Amino acid sequence: MKNTIVQTKNLQKTYMLGKVPVEALRGVNLKVEKGDFVAILGPSGSGKSTLMNLIGALDKPTNGKVIINGVDLSTLNDNQLADLRKSIGFVFQFFNLIPRFDAKGNVELPMTIPGLGRSERRKRAEKLLDDVGLKDRMNHTPAELSGGERQRVAIARALANNPSFLLMDEPTGNIDSKTANEIMELVEKLNKENGVTTIMITHDQQIAGRAKRMVKMLDGEIIKEIKQL
Amino acid sequence: MKVNDIFSYAFGAIRLRKLRAGLTILGVVIGIAAIVALLSISQGLQASISGQLESGFATDTLIVTAGGLGSGIDGGIGAPDTGFRLLVNDTTFINELSADIELWTAIIQRSSYIESGENTLITTINGVVFEEYSEIYSNTFVAESGTISSTPGNEEIVAGKRVSDPWENGTLFCSVNDNVNVIWPNAAVRPPQNETYTGNVTAILQEIGGFGIGPSDSSTYIPLSQAQSFFDTDECEMIIVKLSNSDQATIDDVSEIITNAFNGQVSVISSTAVLSIVSTIFSTIELFLAGIAGISLLVAGIGIMNIMIVSLMERTREIGILKALGTKSRTVLAIFLSEAMIVGLIGSAIGVVSGWALATVASGFLGGGFSGVAPPGAPVSGGIAVTPVLTPVLILGAMAFGLIISIIFALYPAWRASKLKPVDALRYE
Repeated sequence: MKNTIVQTKNLQKTYMLGKVPVEALRGVNLKVEKGDFVAILGPSGSGKSTLMNLIGALDKPTNGKVIINGVDLSTLNDNQLADLRKSIGFVFQFFNLIPRFDAKGNVELPMTIPGLGRSERRKRAEKLLDDVGLKDRMNHTPAELSGGERQRVAIARALANNPSFLLMDEPTGNIDSKTANEIMELVEKLNKENGVTTIMITHDQQIAGRAKRMVKMLDGEIIKEIKQL
Repeated sequence: MKVNDIFSYAFGAIRLRKLRAGLTILGVVIGIAAIVALLSISQGLQASISGQLESGFATDTLIVTAGGLGSGIDGGIGAPDTGFRLLVNDTTFINELSADIELWTAIIQRSSYIESGENTLITTINGVVFEEYSEIYSNTFVAESGTISSTPGNEEIVAGKRVSDPWENGTLFCSVNDNVNVIWPNAAVRPPQNETYTGNVTAILQEIGGFGIGPSDSSTYIPLSQAQSFFDTDECEMIIVKLSNSDQATIDDVSEIITNAFNGQVSVISSTAVLSIVSTIFSTIELFLAGIAGISLLVAGIGIMNIMIVSLMERTREIGILKALGTKSRTVLAIFLSEAMIVGLIGSAIGVVSGWALATVASGFLGGGFSGVAPPGAPVSGGIAVTPVLTPVLILGAMAFGLIISIIFALYPAWRASKLKPVDALRYE
């Protein structure tokens, strides 16, 4: 039996741009199972970032439901949503690392939220950074790291609290293609070897092609789903 | 997040912007230092003045002077001068008023000159009955050299310490056994003329210090009978009454009896009343000073708010990241309030120390200033040596005040930070 991690039901989101309503999502139904690697592909303005914000519990839908691990997000208050976000591993296009912390500090940060002890945090951060290939760069601040290295730190940070899935927003959008390839190899490895469920948003067909499943979006709707081998 | 993690996060954020944090802390330091310096000096001054008053003004004595305080009519000081004068003979009248009255003595006071060799000094001549006066002021009307006779001759003079040694440089104006001329400008005759007689210094008082209503270092004492004939008067400036005890009830009781006996034409002052007036005045002054210092702290508070709002804008994205990682709103609030708390705590601690230092330096000048005759840098004597009083209440109060101001002004920015929606915060450029 399959285990559904993320499910959206008739998900709609309307923004007000001044006085003009803009329908960013027009009824999206999506199901992501445990161990999946889904790429959500679409051009700018297709609503993929809006979908990511809703799945990541960063924003609230106008209509429809987001269900994560069987929990309907609309039933949760702000504190419960914050708790739920601990089980989501975010990776952003612009890395979003804290500049004053070194790589290890950035990976440790999410572990302070559930209140993990210092030595435990340190040990785990070191292991995660080792896993993403940054064993020798642990004490460098983001400013001292390359784009690819920063994104590796971000991935290590996303994995810090053993998330139920990784949610990646254009993870290769801000790095060169060679480094992008390395990042994708890491993501594939995490998915294959460690079974990390991954949802990745991208506008890059080639990057999306490396996922197990490709969901194409246009104008706030899913227009095509492709299963890849 | 654990409390120590919150503080360490907040501390890290402060350390990142050292100059800005330093300036914010400086604002708090100035406010707290001002409060501590002003209040500790004022408390020191009060303690010093109260101490002087207590030593120069025995607690079991009342001072009766002519002229009501007007308390009967409008409660204010400055009743119309009815021309009423106390007479030396009034002492017998006062004696019969209460069994609690143990001793009484009249004092005639005139501003006069005394001449010794080529030097002339302005002094207050007090005509007193030496025996009674020294019994009432047994701690202060005490000879350092010579003797105070209980049956003095008319020419005998007792000089205060500063009359004998006004310049404090080794040269004495007069010593025991010196003959000095007492010169009184008599303005009651036409044309006004100087009355003079030659007296003999038989005693120099020991140093009293400061001021009180009793004996003073800058006064000269002559027998009452001599004052009556020399100044050609039967009127006296005040009558000192010594009571059998210093209970407040006795003081109030006898004060009222005396006031009523003179039909409200006299004022009766007790040391406790003076002390309570002094303490009331100082409370008002302290409130005023604290108010002034408080304003500077208020400015510091607004500085904190300003800085935190700027910092909030700069760190909007960081707040977004924290929230995306699962940080609750109240944790974000706690982080920002902790930053304000750290600033407030450091500022207050430095403020208390520098306020204390400031008070110590300033009180040196103040003490020197009050002594009048002492040259700068000389040991302060005869003036008020003010030692700033730093009570635990003042230290803790100032610290708490600095902390509370910092937190109050950080509440709004911190609240705004905590209310940021994660999706908006992450999108913030």
